[in-house]
Amino acid sequence: MATIKIDGLKKRYANGFEAIHGIDLDVADGELVVIVGPSGCGKSTLLRMVAGLETITEGTLSIDGTVVNDHEPGQRDIAMVFQNYALYPHMSVFNNMAYGLRNRGVGREEIKRKVADVAAILELGDLLDRKPAQLSGGQRQRVAMGRAIVRDPKVFLFDEPLSNLDAKLRVQMRIEIKRLQRRLGTTSLYVTHDQVEAMTLADRLVVMNAGRPEQIGTPMDIYTNPASMFVAGFIGSPAMNFLALERMEGGRLRLPGSEAMLAEDDGSNGAPVLGIRPEHMRTVGTAADADIVLSVDAIEPLGADTLVYGRALGQEGEIVLRLGGSHSIGEGDNLPVAFDRNHLHFFDRANGRRADVRT
Amino acid sequence: MVENRPFLTLLSHLIMIAGVAIVALPVWIAFVISTMDATDLLGGVAPLWPGDQFLENYATILFQGEQASSAPPVLLMMTNSLIMALGIAIGKIVISIISAYAIVYFRFPFRMFFFWMIFMTLMLPVEVRIMPTFKVIADLNMLNSYAGLTIPLIASATATFLFRQFFLTVPEELLEAARIDGAGPVKFFIDILLPLSRTNIAALFVILFIYGWNQYLWPLIVTTEDSYYTVVMGVQRMVAVPDADPIWHYVMTTALLGMLPPALVVLFMQKLFVKGLVEQEK
Repeated sequence: MATIKIDGLKKRYANGFEAIHGIDLDVADGELVVIVGPSGCGKSTLLRMVAGLETITEGTLSIDGTVVNDHEPGQRDIAMVFQNYALYPHMSVFNNMAYGLRNRGVGREEIKRKVADVAAILELGDLLDRKPAQLSGGQRQRVAMGRAIVRDPKVFLFDEPLSNLDAKLRVQMRIEIKRLQRRLGTTSLYVTHDQVEAMTLADRLVVMNAGRPEQIGTPMDIYTNPASMFVAGFIGSPAMNFLALERMEGGRLRLPGSEAMLAEDDGSNGAPVLGIRPEHMRTVGTAADADIVLSVDAIEPLGADTLVYGRALGQEGEIVLRLGGSHSIGEGDNLPVAFDRNHLHFFDRANGRRADVRT
Repeated sequence: MVENRPFLTLLSHLIMIAGVAIVALPVWIAFVISTMDATDLLGGVAPLWPGDQFLENYATILFQGEQASSAPPVLLMMTNSLIMALGIAIGKIVISIISAYAIVYFRFPFRMFFFWMIFMTLMLPVEVRIMPTFKVIADLNMLNSYAGLTIPLIASATATFLFRQFFLTVPEELLEAARIDGAGPVKFFIDILLPLSRTNIAALFVILFIYGWNQYLWPLIVTTEDSYYTVVMGVQRMVAVPDADPIWHYVMTTALLGMLPPALVVLFMQKLFVKGLVEQEK
């Protein structure tokens, strides 16, 4: 049981490239924090710095109150699950799990007992004599998890552990990881580029972009109050729609071609943008009640939902609308759409941050 | 090619049989001669069927040696050859796997410089540097010793290069996982890298054992005492007897005995050998 304290952590490579520009993060005991972001945002680098596989250029990293900047990975009492599992190919499943324990001088009988316990949890009991090459992807994933769990470390680190699995298995393992983490109560850092994984697993979410944390918060907090256009566009699927606004006299903001005033500001926001999630729009009977009229160009019926893609007058980007159930909408239709006034987000196009407006 | 053409099958078999014959026939004739006694060979024509002197010839040559050229018993020479070949093969593998480990996994000053230094020795086999190497070995009082026979031949750029290439294909995550599991550099080397290199080591062992066994010039130069003669140079001594004809049935017996150990090594290790050259277990 442990806490992690990351204080002003920076990573600069020998060639001068700065991968991480400074991160502060406190992870509470037993918390699962997911670090999410597009590739190249520095999320894996951050995780590897916590693991001790990358050196720390600046700042301090403490695990359980001890500064571990200069500790070897083996001394930090952490366990890591790799994307490609990194199982030792010449060792049996049993030996893969036992290796870390042996290196720590755990007795033979105790190793046997611990491995058997973990194998039972992960349903690996029948596979202990196999080599990794004889296992399926999902089984290898379990062994990698088992190797981490059996050591009973202070911290679990997950580096995109589900990326190499097929879609169905990924969903299954996602739930299993969450259950397991709850059951063991081990403090965990989890890196992924998949926002669904991030939303479903996280106690708290760190959304990273270009070496900086854009927002840190609970998944719902980030979903309902994204701090920037980047976060708003990254979290949620399909992504949030962004619509250009016109500023009228008195700082009132409206959609081009629409009469309805959506908000007003003091004029300090350079180019105001409206953000609205696909699930917060609905169809209305007439164009008079609508905020925009969507000219539909594609429809994706998903069964439970229907995604409608189209364009609106005065807007450059494509707009996506999520409707519950199935609908008889055809391509080429003009669909009057109204927005849910409780779920409007305003951003400043110039700096991408949330804009300060009155609705 | 999966084709059903009887003529092609016949032709390719003929070609292969011809190839086998070219290799096997001289060996067969050597074997036939090694079972004759001196009088059978006076006619100057090599017979094609074995004679009845098999046991006598082999026993004489193994335990007493050929008296005319005062060569030592072949058993002694074969032991010497074995010690030299094993020493060279094991020494080369040990040295080169360790240096490849250093070059691939450690960052130290002049790393690439050392790598290219090792690589350059490819251009300097013993035959090229034989005089200076002899001088060094003589000054170190290592003439007529197993150390003198093996040590100058041990450094191997080829093996270092082969291990380096293999280590570069081992996924980095394995090292990282081992570090997290608390393994230091030595533990990682012994527990992970060595077992993974198993097939490579076996393949190299076969090649290097034969290389060591077949050494001719170097043992000829550093050994002057009978008790350190190797079998490959021993055969040559039997052929080059002064003022007499070589005793061919003894020469052939020795030659066949000399061919036996490398053939056995290939035979018993061929499965691992092919595996090591073709596939990699990862």
